[in-house]
Amino acid sequence: MVSLARTIRSIRRVGLKEWWHQMQYIGDAKSGKFMGRDQFGNRYFENLNAEEEIPGRHRWVDFAQHDFNATQVPPEWHAWLHHIRKDAPPEDRIMQNLSPPWKAPHYENLTGTRGAYKPYNTTKPKYEAWEPKVAQRG
Amino acid sequence: MSLATLRGFAASSGRRAAYRPAVGVYASASRNVHSSAPVASPPEVPTHSTNPEEPVTSIAMRGSNQLSLETPQNKAEYVLSTLDKVVNWARQGSMWPMTFGLACCAVEMMHMAAARYDQDRLGVVFRASPRQSDIMIVAGTLTNKMAPALRKVYDQMPEPRWVISMGSCANGGGYYHYSYSVVRGCDRIVPVDIYVPGCPPTAEALLYGMLQLQRKMRRNRKSVLWYRK
Repeated sequence: MVSLARTIRSIRRVGLKEWWHQMQYIGDAKSGKFMGRDQFGNRYFENLNAEEEIPGRHRWVDFAQHDFNATQVPPEWHAWLHHIRKDAPPEDRIMQNLSPPWKAPHYENLTGTRGAYKPYNTTKPKYEAWEPKVAQRG
Repeated sequence: MSLATLRGFAASSGRRAAYRPAVGVYASASRNVHSSAPVASPPEVPTHSTNPEEPVTSIAMRGSNQLSLETPQNKAEYVLSTLDKVVNWARQGSMWPMTFGLACCAVEMMHMAAARYDQDRLGVVFRASPRQSDIMIVAGTLTNKMAPALRKVYDQMPEPRWVISMGSCANGGGYYHYSYSVVRGCDRIVPVDIYVPGCPPTAEALLYGMLQLQRKMRRNRKSVLWYRK
């Protein structure tokens, strides 16, 4: 729960600079165990103490980019963040061993940039607009 | 034509040329004056980046008109783009959608308003009146009979207005694409900003669509565009 005591406790743990950063991006003073960092520089945390974090808010990500969105989280960390996997990717042996070699690199949603996905059709349309033709009259 | 007009035209055209992005759509080969081959080929654009200083989004923005608009080139543009950002901030902080629930998608739209996804924390509040709302969420199958009503409601909304097309039926007819009584996509009736895929999309998907619309609002640089012409 958000309380003054919890805020002060978190500030003492993470430091003023980190607290200011959290207030700008997360909007809450959070402190927890650092679980790892993904290839994009996003940092992941966990705090299992139910007195400090409401269950459901106990795993969180601190994004590296200023303009952040949820697609910046790679799939391995997404699985941990949403409790699909119990262990974080650095400790998750199964996920490390089963990661397929053909897996494409993760990239975030590029909507609004020149990299945006543009669909195209390769099949003949099933219906066509009516083009009126007048038959020759005798 | 007076001399002043000519001078003004020359100045404005010069300004237009100067503010054109150096690469991109304007620098295509067909418009190049020189016929000889360039010395160096354009640099290879990486498709992937793990550097937080240069994320893949900023790589994908390279040479685009949007990046040119977002980069102020003099003090007036700096002021105008800052004003634009203030306007964008105000707009994205209180998106009031007009609910146009037509079918089962409307249930997921209600879930977005309910406790789990809680749209109120983003300042998204459903309004029942088109005159007080700035977004229309078209949720569900748009039939031929409903289409004039949809257009009338859209016309009653004040500018600026956005439209979110929610679900397969609103995107392109979906399951009822070949029906005689269904509009094959609500973009035949109103201009659509965000298409949310799914049948029906989850409340999470719709909320992500709202966040994408916020992103689109943040890209707005209308006054800079007006200044550059």
